[in-house]
Amino acid sequence: MTDNSEQEYVAGEPTDDPTTDDMRAQTDVSTSVSSSGSAVHANTVVRAENVDVWYNDEQALKDITLDIPENQVTAMIGPSGCGKSTFLRCVNRMNDLIDAARVEGDLYLRGKNVYDDDVDPVALRRRVGMVFQSPNPFPKSIYDNVAYGLKIQNKEGDYDAIVEESLKRAALWDEVKDRLDESGLELSGGQQQRLCIARAIAPDPEVLLMDEPASALDPVATSQIEDLISELAEEYTVVIVTHNMQQAARISNKTAVFLTGGELVEFDDTEKIFENPESQRVEDYITGKFG
Amino acid sequence: MATRDDVIESFGHVSRTTGTVFRYLLLAATLFGIVALTVLLIYVANDAIRPLTADPGWHLAFFLTLVLPTLAVSGYLFRTDPASFRFGAGVVGALAVSTMFAGGAAMIFVDIVSPVVWFGYVIALCLALAGVVVIERFDRQLPFLARFVGAGAVIVGSVLVVPGLIQSLPVYPTDGIMLTLSLGAPVAVVVGRYAAADAGRRGQALAVLAGVAGVGAGGVLGPLLAIGAVPATVLLAVAVVPTAGFAVGTVRRTPARRTGLLLTAVVLGGTLVGAAAVDALGFAGPQSWVDWQFLTSAHSGNAVDAGLYPAIGGSILLMVTVAALSFPLGVGAAVYLEEYAPDNRFTRFIDVNISNLAGVPSVVYGLLGLGVFVTYLGQPTGTVLIGGATLALLILPIVIISAREALRSVPDSMREASYGMGATRWQTIKNVVLPRAFPGILTGTILALGRAIGETAPLIMIGAPNVLFSLPTALSSKVSAMPLQVYAWASLFASEPFYQAAVPAGVVVLLIVLLSMNSVAIVLRNKYQSDSK
Repeated sequence: MTDNSEQEYVAGEPTDDPTTDDMRAQTDVSTSVSSSGSAVHANTVVRAENVDVWYNDEQALKDITLDIPENQVTAMIGPSGCGKSTFLRCVNRMNDLIDAARVEGDLYLRGKNVYDDDVDPVALRRRVGMVFQSPNPFPKSIYDNVAYGLKIQNKEGDYDAIVEESLKRAALWDEVKDRLDESGLELSGGQQQRLCIARAIAPDPEVLLMDEPASALDPVATSQIEDLISELAEEYTVVIVTHNMQQAARISNKTAVFLTGGELVEFDDTEKIFENPESQRVEDYITGKFG
Repeated sequence: MATRDDVIESFGHVSRTTGTVFRYLLLAATLFGIVALTVLLIYVANDAIRPLTADPGWHLAFFLTLVLPTLAVSGYLFRTDPASFRFGAGVVGALAVSTMFAGGAAMIFVDIVSPVVWFGYVIALCLALAGVVVIERFDRQLPFLARFVGAGAVIVGSVLVVPGLIQSLPVYPTDGIMLTLSLGAPVAVVVGRYAAADAGRRGQALAVLAGVAGVGAGGVLGPLLAIGAVPATVLLAVAVVPTAGFAVGTVRRTPARRTGLLLTAVVLGGTLVGAAAVDALGFAGPQSWVDWQFLTSAHSGNAVDAGLYPAIGGSILLMVTVAALSFPLGVGAAVYLEEYAPDNRFTRFIDVNISNLAGVPSVVYGLLGLGVFVTYLGQPTGTVLIGGATLALLILPIVIISAREALRSVPDSMREASYGMGATRWQTIKNVVLPRAFPGILTGTILALGRAIGETAPLIMIGAPNVLFSLPTALSSKVSAMPLQVYAWASLFASEPFYQAAVPAGVVVLLIVLLSMNSVAIVLRNKYQSDSK
């Protein structure tokens, strides 16, 4: 997956040639992803059934049904305002914090409907890690940032070891091991985002939700984060929202395409979406005709 | 896209006349405010301190020993190393402001809370804290309510019992030793850890010990210098040791700033040498109305003998009461409105009315205090408690508004990050929002206290006595305050000597206290801004 030959695949580039077959021929995105094994029979971790979301009277998501498989990267792509972030925030019920938002339908995390009345959203969020669009470390030391989830959850265990392990997994340990007591805000943007990833994985969540984690970063930091996501998928189920189609093609096993109006137009293996989408609208979108 | 071959001769001009006029109008408005204020301050200060009554030789001596060297060193440092200059000036400023606060604290320990009582309460709090820690450590399985009740019982029991026990001891240590332990030790721990932050545990322990020893020296030096053990110990604990720790800590962190201490040395040395020279040569200083006698004696019918001591003490006690009442109430209300309250018509109604209350004239708050506390609750008039409660009501809206502003400046991304980690609202507020907003909240509260310390009308309304000859010693004693005393001199005792002597001197002392409080707020704000970058 680190073989980035598909970077040549520039979907957003205007092209005179409407036949996109040529473009697909240039890229081997399909082979690079399928070689990593898009196991169709993987366990489902998150299952959405007929999820609708309204902000006041405006419908943001329409009848979303999809299954997110275990230990894979599932990407959500689509133009701005299509509801992909909204869907992500349904999984850990962050939408509860917005007064105007209303969610209907069923969303299961490992078989338990998270919108059941007996579900405590705070307890739910302790099982689901989240990384936000712009890096948002707390104005605390690097150590305290990573240990935050452990402390608020009163977890037992050797915090020093967990912090070290999390920072290593987030590929940040070597850069910060000598200054764990410095403020997290003194790191660069890319380091801050990796710190946020370390913070999210420290309590060992079931799912890792990432809301455009690289959109505020420069290309070098972006590629570091992308490598990191691919490695994290070995142990975690990762759901990533991105509006960068090349990024989705590079790192994801499954791709969900949301289009304007909050519809899930197509959800399938990534190579299928990029090589041979069912829907004409998806094809138009990924070949850059709009969006 | 140039399709024509013309060469542009000129781009023409765009008129800026209106903009220029506007700019200088604004400059004039700014200058008018600053100049008017400066003239007023100089006028009052001249009346109060009367520098022209001094011997010309006195001026010359201090000019040569203090002003000239300070200017020379400042100019040199400012050109070569502005950071060092700011550091040196900061040390001088910190010493001056903290000496004033030490004066206030010494007044409290000499006349209001004797060192034995203070020592007893500090010991009680330490024991209570130890008890709480033991409860927390002992069994994590205890239900929350049991721990909460247990901790509360330990705290209340300790505070109720221990001070009495200590006061009933047949022998206890001298005042100097008790203050060194109860006031100097905590200060030394904070200061020592700051000064020797990089020196490891051993170095820090040594620094803390040095701090305690420095404070303890007050018990020995004070009587020798005829200023008493208690004031000397307080001065060392509140002013000298913290300032020295700040200087040492900064120099250890950034050795390049060492040269800034030259400025400090020149100012302190110049003052001492100048004083010695003036004394030796017999030059008389200015016959200032603001002098030791003015600061340490009570009102007198004779303007020259009148002093501000009970009023200063009263203002300090009032400020403590106001802070203790308005800070928890105001911050609590701000946290509720900002973090918990739903956005509905009722909260918007409250919002608007808090802003309105901030603009209600202070005399109305005085009436409110009189009506509620005195008439309705039947409290005696003019006590520290009633005065403090009324002033706390007066500044409560300001505290709430500024605390809400500070809470609002905490980015929502921080709250989202915390909720996303599975934190409850309480955990988010405690761990993320309040620590980040705290300096801003503190700054706003100090500025609001600055408003309260200058208020006269509410105190008149609640019947605070115009003239008081001793310091209030309890919450239920009658209290006077600096602005009230000045007002009394200017109205009840209106006569030429009081106008010339006591009034300007009182105003200058009040302004100095106010400005030093505000300077603390500004320092806090600057530190906050540089920390949160």
